[in-house]
Amino acid sequence: MENLSRRRFLALTGGGATALALAGCTTHTPGSTPTDTALSGNEVGAMTDYTASTAFKATEPLDFPIAILSNPSYPYNGSWPFFNDLKKMTNVSLNATVIPLSDYNTKIGTMIGAGDAPLIIPKTYHPAEDAFISSGAILPVSEYLDLMPNFTQTVSEWNLGGDLDQLRAADGKFYLLPGLHQQVWQDYSIAIRADIFKQLNIPTPKTWDDVTSALRALKNAYPNNYPISDRWSTATSGQAGPGANSLLAILGAAYGTQAGWNYQHATWDSKTSQFVYTGAMDEYRQMCQFLYTWVNDKLMDPQSFTQSDAQAEQTFANSQSFVISANAQEVVNTYEKDLSGTQGAQVVKIPVPTGPMGATILGSRLENGVMISSSALKSKNFVAMMQFVDWLFYSPTGKMFAKWGVKGTTYSGSIDNGSFKLEPDVTWAGVNPTGTKNLQVDFGFFNGVFAYGGSTELLNTQFPPAELTFQKAMDTRKVLPLPPPAPLSAQDQQQTTLWATTLLDYVNQMTLKFILGQRPLSQWDDYVNELKGMNSAQYVSIVNKSYAAYKKAHG
Amino acid sequence: MVATTGLTPAQTKPSARPNPTRIQDGRGYRVFKVFNVLILLGVVVLTLYPFINLLAQSFSSETAIAAGHVDLIPKGFNITTYKTVMGDPTFWENYRNTVEYTVVATAISMVLTTCYAYVLSKRNLKGRGFLMAVAIFTMFFNGGLIPNYVLVNDLGLRNSLWAIVLPNAISVFNLLVMKTFFENLPSELEEAAAVDGLTTYGILARIVLPLSKAVLATMVLFYAVSFWNSWFSAFLYMDRSDLFPVTVYLRNMIAGATSGTNEGASGEQALQVAANIQAVTIVLTVVPILTVYPFIQRYFVSGVMLGAVKG
Repeated sequence: MENLSRRRFLALTGGGATALALAGCTTHTPGSTPTDTALSGNEVGAMTDYTASTAFKATEPLDFPIAILSNPSYPYNGSWPFFNDLKKMTNVSLNATVIPLSDYNTKIGTMIGAGDAPLIIPKTYHPAEDAFISSGAILPVSEYLDLMPNFTQTVSEWNLGGDLDQLRAADGKFYLLPGLHQQVWQDYSIAIRADIFKQLNIPTPKTWDDVTSALRALKNAYPNNYPISDRWSTATSGQAGPGANSLLAILGAAYGTQAGWNYQHATWDSKTSQFVYTGAMDEYRQMCQFLYTWVNDKLMDPQSFTQSDAQAEQTFANSQSFVISANAQEVVNTYEKDLSGTQGAQVVKIPVPTGPMGATILGSRLENGVMISSSALKSKNFVAMMQFVDWLFYSPTGKMFAKWGVKGTTYSGSIDNGSFKLEPDVTWAGVNPTGTKNLQVDFGFFNGVFAYGGSTELLNTQFPPAELTFQKAMDTRKVLPLPPPAPLSAQDQQQTTLWATTLLDYVNQMTLKFILGQRPLSQWDDYVNELKGMNSAQYVSIVNKSYAAYKKAHG
Repeated sequence: MVATTGLTPAQTKPSARPNPTRIQDGRGYRVFKVFNVLILLGVVVLTLYPFINLLAQSFSSETAIAAGHVDLIPKGFNITTYKTVMGDPTFWENYRNTVEYTVVATAISMVLTTCYAYVLSKRNLKGRGFLMAVAIFTMFFNGGLIPNYVLVNDLGLRNSLWAIVLPNAISVFNLLVMKTFFENLPSELEEAAAVDGLTTYGILARIVLPLSKAVLATMVLFYAVSFWNSWFSAFLYMDRSDLFPVTVYLRNMIAGATSGTNEGASGEQALQVAANIQAVTIVLTVVPILTVYPFIQRYFVSGVMLGAVKG
């Protein structure tokens, strides 16, 4: 990265000079905001009267470079009707850099580092964009929201300001246009073999203690089996956890801490109004204690924390285990499919069991989103591009189009009155299994690059009845407030990153030892001191300092 | 153009003629042979088992694979997956790219490596040390990912075959192997050819290369296999899926099998790619390069040089 600083510097100064030159050339028109003035040279193709209620159509044919993730289940196809229809509606064609899902981030990182990224970079998961902020390679999009009426309207209608604050960097700006959800959407939970539960007269668990009793009952009936043999233990993406990362994540949330693949070093403690070190929280200890009981009483397969997903799925498919971590799509695509040969087998994803935190849910309503390359500012079509992004990703029409396609071709009815359904010959994720045309493969709709987020009604259209029941149950939970923003400065970021790896490794290692009983929980205090030796206290103090600084600077 | 003069001392030629009279193996040697065979059989099992398992999976039904019932023999025999994968135009398009990239890249690599190695094998060449150093330097140091990308990009090679071919054209390891081989050729042969009036190029083309079939075949194999298997430069420098080699297609497909496990509430339907589709794709990708081995193997003959120089 070092080798590139000169190049980046040149690109930056070049960009800056252009912006200055543009600003210099224009005369200030009264009534317009400073951004408008600075951008008057970038308005080619843009609509002058674009608002949240207008459909975007560029005033001349435009072509925007974009990175497109090619998903192996529906590999990118340039002749998808999606692109044709989009062109017809908006006068915009997309010049795609196609990147295989397998290594999407590597290529994006390289292209941005080389100063050669496409202007629109979707599928960015926060905080991936942080790495590019200091180089100035990506645009602080929060400065250009006046070009995006749909985005701003959605944020204010759904009251997403607090969620957006999570994205802000130390300079108070955010660099990612995230997917926006109306409600917190919980997908991951545990799935049970409902037929076995019924057969043994075990009630569906509501709390984690109910789960423990259910596991005990299953253990009594099948003494030679581990009732739960869990998965999501191998690090495929994101950060590594101690194993059984989905289970730890939802269990951690039930205890009011963060664990598994949701682990963050700092957790907000609302009682003391400061951040504390997560791995040293007493709630974290209770969670380990809870799982230790499961492992110790042979309710949970100790392999759960190390085995591959395939092994866990196999155990579940062979009816040797009866509880497993799940999300909506795994239930349909894996568990039900694998058990299709077993007479009467029924898999149900149960509402996330509750713990000491009660019936609450904590989560962000933001999803992965779009980065805009800084070089876009140099394009004469910049304003049109922002309007286009706003329409496609944030307007109800754009969202509906990206998700379900064109009325009369791929679907009929409307989502407002619940009459929505796919056309009979269009198949998608198990809907209309006899359909000849696949919504994703043949049409290019419901593509993860373009279709996500949205209103609850829109989201509900994609769920089968079982999942709708789950979502209804989850919607009754009380939503907890998000922690306040505490963005770190670039220097602090670097410092904490140095500590983070060692800390994370150690927390993972010890979490596993505590759970498996390889280290007695009586040594918890020693462990907390060991964490301090690895700078856990300094880590939290930097976060608290940043929190205070941000609060002072940006309210 | 003056032919190289044979001022360097003649190489000692290897004498490896087998003894015609058969001697009874000693006891120790027989014990060794038994163990040798056992160990090698173990290696054969270790290497073949995964492959046969994969082959079996490619012909099995998805449920049988998920339940872990497939071992060496396909369960729930089906060939629909083969039909599906082979019916995917992208697969064949990428396959054709792989063949094209491999053939062109191997040809160019062979020409460049042979020329470089032959030159380096001449001990009386001025600047030989420098030329060696240039090659060796790249074994230990390279520009790194982003500078390489910037270079290829600025040369205008992106989205072209050359982005794959040129940066990897000379493998220093292969170069050194070839150089050593050329150095071991008896210099008397080349002197005789020079006396008979051949130029340097004539000597290379008519004397040295025909005598170097063994090393050439080995190098072709090394290069072809590495280009066939390579995916990273194609992935990095190609922006269109119709330019990807099949390895990128395959890698993406295998990644698809685990991508459903991403954290968080993502609306993406990253459907899992079925295990037998993966198996089928792997089989289809591996088989062609496997079939190359037997054809090249006949060039791996030892002792091509025996009796070449009668003195």
